[in-house]
Amino acid sequence: MASKYYDYTKSNELFKRACQVIPSGLYGHQGPAEGCWIPPTSWPYFTDHAKGSYFWDVDGNKFIDYMCAYGPNVLGYNDPDVDAAAIEQAKKENCVTTPSAKIVELAELMVDTVASADWAFFMKNGNDTTQGAIMCARAYTHRKKIIFVNGFYHGVSMWTQKIDYPGVLPEDVANNLYVDWNDFEALEKLVAENEGEIAAFISTPYLHGNFFDNVLPADGYWQKVRKLCTEKGIVLIVDDVRAGFRLDLAGSDHFYGFEADLICFCKAIANGWNVSALCGKEFLKSSMSALSYTGSYWMSAVPFAAGIACINKLKKLDATKMFREKGLKLTEGLKAAAANNGFNLVVSGEPALFYLRVADDDSLLIHQDWVQEMVHRGIYITSHHNHFLNASLTDEDIARTCEVADDAFKAIRSKY
Amino acid sequence: MKKQEECVLTDSKTLAYINMYAIFGTLENLCELDENARALLKNKKPISIGFDVKNGPAATLYFKNGYCRLEDGCNPKCTIKLPFSSCEKFNGMIDGTVTPFPSKGLIHLGFLLKSFTPLTDLLTKYLRPDPKDLEDPVFFETSTKLMFYLITVAISQIANRDEIGRFSAHLIPDGDVKMSIKGGPAATIRVRDHHLVTIKRMPEKYRAIMEFESIQLARDLFDGKVNAVACIGQGSIAMGGMINMIDNLNRILDRVALYLA
Repeated sequence: MASKYYDYTKSNELFKRACQVIPSGLYGHQGPAEGCWIPPTSWPYFTDHAKGSYFWDVDGNKFIDYMCAYGPNVLGYNDPDVDAAAIEQAKKENCVTTPSAKIVELAELMVDTVASADWAFFMKNGNDTTQGAIMCARAYTHRKKIIFVNGFYHGVSMWTQKIDYPGVLPEDVANNLYVDWNDFEALEKLVAENEGEIAAFISTPYLHGNFFDNVLPADGYWQKVRKLCTEKGIVLIVDDVRAGFRLDLAGSDHFYGFEADLICFCKAIANGWNVSALCGKEFLKSSMSALSYTGSYWMSAVPFAAGIACINKLKKLDATKMFREKGLKLTEGLKAAAANNGFNLVVSGEPALFYLRVADDDSLLIHQDWVQEMVHRGIYITSHHNHFLNASLTDEDIARTCEVADDAFKAIRSKY
Repeated sequence: MKKQEECVLTDSKTLAYINMYAIFGTLENLCELDENARALLKNKKPISIGFDVKNGPAATLYFKNGYCRLEDGCNPKCTIKLPFSSCEKFNGMIDGTVTPFPSKGLIHLGFLLKSFTPLTDLLTKYLRPDPKDLEDPVFFETSTKLMFYLITVAISQIANRDEIGRFSAHLIPDGDVKMSIKGGPAATIRVRDHHLVTIKRMPEKYRAIMEFESIQLARDLFDGKVNAVACIGQGSIAMGGMINMIDNLNRILDRVALYLA
């Protein structure tokens, strides 16, 4: 079936209005600049509604969505079980002076679910969890320095940004040290050079940075890192905001066979309802208790109720196994569509969070062209970010995606 | 008075390199674009001015047949030599607070006073334009083109010298970036081992592109009336290819304004 080429008239009109009253119209990763919409005219700016694996934009175009709101959509948009739990809780209470009992229920569920967790501390965004983790590590160790892996993203707090970012001072990042992913020898050397000064090593479970193929951990890498951190009194923080509950419901550290001291969750906890969590080992509980760290909505009950329903449903579905299987099926189909048209599509990262790159030139211009042709035909992917699977994705969705991929490769074949 | 932020986040050595290669380098383009500039140099014997800044940049400006060319290094055979004891002194000459004295070629003082100074005054007129002058379309276009060349060269100087600029540069992979104004000037920013060189012509092949949709858009961006991120979102700045090259160049571009303020 030939793909319809979408029109975005209403989206474009709305974006013009947005530009009058919102800085840059749409900011951050869900906006056209940081989202790398190349060119922006190929993407819808605004959605109207969503269900399952799909969303419809304000022009009525339907998309199969492989970004899943950049992760929160883990069961399918508007999942009936999660939404029913949230709505039931909303009828009772949400944001109240004294927190609901739901906070205890969700904390118990997190501790029971996440292998390395002895406690859970709830917040709102992924950034809140990484910020809390760093503060906790510094409070516990009384040390300043943090080691990051080059290509990292851990949120938007000033310490997570880079010295050349607008609004960031050299002092904000003065205690940041950097090492390449999978380079244990370099990490050992960096630790030796800063003996007794390093509070934490923070990393995602594998390298899923942008603009390059994602890289899985080398054999034994995490085990060596774990041992080094223990020996040197360095708090090992796993930022599982992106991959959490998509590889392993017990945590991505568990998936790769080690235990983090602190592990950050957000996106997949409550299927889009707003809650994040920092989980940690018993020895850090006292330091976490000591922090002055809170927020107006951090103890709202509705997202807690949604989180409980979401995690229980993920368990019931054996969702992580499903994500892997669907991810493999989809990416094999995409690679075949590329090969059928004489292109080389490289797939990297874990299948549940696959990363794509058309590798036929060294500029990514062909890749960007293919991606925009996909979006224009109703398959929502992005040029330079990993993708996400959700549990409602069907085999028909996958087949349709591969069909459109073939169309999109054919469309660009004549240009290159 | 400079804002506190500028005092902390810029350094005089980087500014000296910008003044030498971006400001003086733009004299080349001024002579190409403005016949008044060429008239100041016509019917004169070829002449060269060497600038030698202690612990800073050294370059030579060559003037011939109404045109001008900047070359790296102070040529010992230059007609006039202007030495500076520090980057601050050289920057002072650009600011008009320091009067240089030639160590060689005093006999050509007339060229410095009657040709070179009016030429740099003309450049200043274009680079720091009176809003009324910009109402003239020809002036507007020339001024914006000169700003474009100035900025693209300044990007490389900041990337190679400024501490924060070097941080941005170390994240840029090798290759050529095309920076251009649609239907107007183009430049190549060539990256090799995180060292940047600006070549004031379009690349034959590039890994990334950043193109302003019009000369008006470029002007608004240079004047700080519009923001690059917003323009990318609206499509008035087209970007493509290795976005990490563009992203980091944009961070350096932010610092250009800091130095040229």
